[in-house]
Amino acid sequence: MKGEFEKSTVVTTVALAWRLIRINPALWTIFSLIVLFSVIVPEKFLSASNLVAILKSFAVTAMLSVGPTFVILMGSIDVSYMGVWMFGGALVWLLYPYLGLASILVYPVFGLLVGLVNGYIHVKAKIPSFILTIAVTAVFAFLTTYVRNVSGVLTLTVPAYNFLRESPIPYLPSPFLLALPTIALAIFFMFFTKVGTYLCAIGSNEEGASLAGINVRKYKILAFMISGFLTGLGSIAIFVHLGNQTRVDFDPSELIRGLAAIVLGGTPLAGGMGGPHRTLMGALVYVLIFNGLFLLPGVDPNHLKLYIGTLLLAAVVVASKALKGALIA
Amino acid sequence: MGSSQEILVEAKNITKTFDTVVRALDGVSIEVRKREILSVVGENGAGKSTLMKILVGIHPPDSGELYYMGERIPFPKNPLDALKRGISIVYQERGVIPHLKVYQFLFLGLEDKFTKLGRLQLEKIIGTAKSVFDELGIKCDLGSYLYELPLSTQKMVEIARAILSIRLATGEGREGEVTPLIILDEPTAPLSIEERDELFEYLLNLKKENSFIFVSHIIPEVMKFSDRIYVLRDGKVVAHHDVAAEKVTEEELFREIVGRESYYDLLERYGYGQEQLQERPTILSVRNLTKKGYYTDISFDIREGECVGLFGPAGCGKSEIAKTLYGVLTFDKGKIIMDGHELRAKGGPYSRIRRGLGYFSGETGKELFLYWSIRKNVSIINFEKVVRKHLGVVPVISLRLEKSLAEKIVKKLRIRAPSVDTECYSLSGGNKQKVSVGKWLEKSPKVLILEDPTIGIDVGAREDIYEVLLEMKKNGVSMLLVSDDPKEYAILCDKILMLKDGVVQRVCSNKEFRSLMGL
Repeated sequence: MKGEFEKSTVVTTVALAWRLIRINPALWTIFSLIVLFSVIVPEKFLSASNLVAILKSFAVTAMLSVGPTFVILMGSIDVSYMGVWMFGGALVWLLYPYLGLASILVYPVFGLLVGLVNGYIHVKAKIPSFILTIAVTAVFAFLTTYVRNVSGVLTLTVPAYNFLRESPIPYLPSPFLLALPTIALAIFFMFFTKVGTYLCAIGSNEEGASLAGINVRKYKILAFMISGFLTGLGSIAIFVHLGNQTRVDFDPSELIRGLAAIVLGGTPLAGGMGGPHRTLMGALVYVLIFNGLFLLPGVDPNHLKLYIGTLLLAAVVVASKALKGALIA
Repeated sequence: MGSSQEILVEAKNITKTFDTVVRALDGVSIEVRKREILSVVGENGAGKSTLMKILVGIHPPDSGELYYMGERIPFPKNPLDALKRGISIVYQERGVIPHLKVYQFLFLGLEDKFTKLGRLQLEKIIGTAKSVFDELGIKCDLGSYLYELPLSTQKMVEIARAILSIRLATGEGREGEVTPLIILDEPTAPLSIEERDELFEYLLNLKKENSFIFVSHIIPEVMKFSDRIYVLRDGKVVAHHDVAAEKVTEEELFREIVGRESYYDLLERYGYGQEQLQERPTILSVRNLTKKGYYTDISFDIREGECVGLFGPAGCGKSEIAKTLYGVLTFDKGKIIMDGHELRAKGGPYSRIRRGLGYFSGETGKELFLYWSIRKNVSIINFEKVVRKHLGVVPVISLRLEKSLAEKIVKKLRIRAPSVDTECYSLSGGNKQKVSVGKWLEKSPKVLILEDPTIGIDVGAREDIYEVLLEMKKNGVSMLLVSDDPKEYAILCDKILMLKDGVVQRVCSNKEFRSLMGL
């Protein structure tokens, strides 16, 4: 009897695990990437310094993608994270003389405001979210460069925050630690408040959501606000990671990085399913591919972006197919 | 028990006029008793939906009175107001949100009672959901996504949601004090036969505690499960049956729904289907066409200038067959041969159009580009007619040709629009439909597939569309008709295939069909 019982628990555990993997296709990708690189380049890949580099890189990628996930979840798109990150940093630099150390808090406040404006315009003026947010990004990227040029400095660095770069825990880099509150908040919004459910509902069936009595417009604006706020908060980690400065020139590959993590994680651009938990996995997939390829012998680092781009294209197609098979059928 | 039951809700003399002159409801009175299934039947546009929308507070009535347990109350101002009175509605298809988990959907919009400092109390939600499902007898995993469940279970979850929201709105847990009234708007439309039976069994079980208004146009199921039936036609109650007290036949109900008078008028105007088409060549042959779960072994021929109708209750497979012929759906077995060419299962509408098929559906917005002008909507499928070759090789769309083509159609169909550059969204429903059908007029396909060609438009526009279709037919265009309206078959079809559960029951001529339907 006992044996049978154990057998059935094993069966249900396996079934549960299988369901988990089926619903989160990024899981097996992460697993196989780790195995793959551990086998091919064990000394380099598994070295302490490389693992720390992976964590740092993971933090940056996750911070660029966790916020916008909420907007994509409800079927719109928000690429203004580049603008929030770049110009937010310029604001921190500009306001430091007045606010002192507190000026770092400009980041989340700025993000929240940008989100509010984005959401409001998107809902009221009915402008497609992609066009709107990429225009916003263009404006902020220009402003960042402008601030740098006008002030005549080379970089917008705030050395006073150097203490943030020291991690109190060995092997856990400070950008990673700084990213944790953002991750925790994202998970909280998604699973422990009604907001996550509502955004999912809007993405899945907007009319149905409105029939269920949800104030669709309000929650659309809220999604943009969450996106902006989390991006702003997360940008602190990136700011510290880059040496207490912000990026001053626009690099489209950083833009792709955020979207790639979201899609690789399994939140389809059409919305309706997924969430920040998947985006975290997607960020890890992205970072592992990038890091592993860099270590491979015979891979020219100059060509890395080309390989990554091609790989991403394939991965996105495969991921969307896998999702269709597992989830939509 | 019958009529001795207590009356729960009574609506008297409801009148509703929309901005046009159309009177959607004209002095309608209905009563709903405690613990019964009341059916409201009628054609599209008979006023069923308007009546229900008034009861749940989506539309205000122009005049009328509402009584709740004998006491006069104002009409609900919005759905929430109606909820507080214990009235809720389950929508036809749009209500389900596929990617939510069952318990998430169950409490969607009701979370505030289960939140502490902005944090959801998941244990409490799942616990409540479990007890509700146990009580209502729904068996499914609360953690699974809605799309994973069979459609019938999805409907049950929706009904459970309606009951739950009434309970939460009227004060938790006080069962028996308020009898919930659930309005079901065509709940069986997307369901298969077995799923329907399952749903009805479920409803009969729930009847002990709740009242239902069941809106439908599928006669057999209405007959089977209702305690009482109201028949609505042209915004008026034309008949009322107490199924327990009197015997009603399907035919009787059917005639009441469609109304005899309006038929003869139209039929006499346009004449009946022709029967002497035997010597005409066959254009389209369908042989043993099968799509698992929808239809089996369908075979028929369409001759030149002939109109074949597929007739049967909703869910009999007729619209799936039409969509298969046009390439929107694929098939598993069988052959479709057109003009000696076999059509592939996966060809898609593109390849069908090239072979000379056309498709027209009355569902506005489905095939019309609403933000385009009439001119563009016409030329999109008539490019060969509006393109002029410059220097003999460079094809350029000629604005002049586009305009004259569109103008021709506007004139012929009497489309009421300021000009051919008017954007289609600003047209009335009937005029939109005329643009949709008009664009095929010049294309002159060999076979035109019609799906509910006149759904939801007024009689005048209907007649214009019939006229155009009959003229096309006279010019040798063959047709396949799928509709809910027998009148349409009588007017347009020469041969009618009677379908049930995806199988052809019999083939009849126009004359046989009319005598069968009592037209």
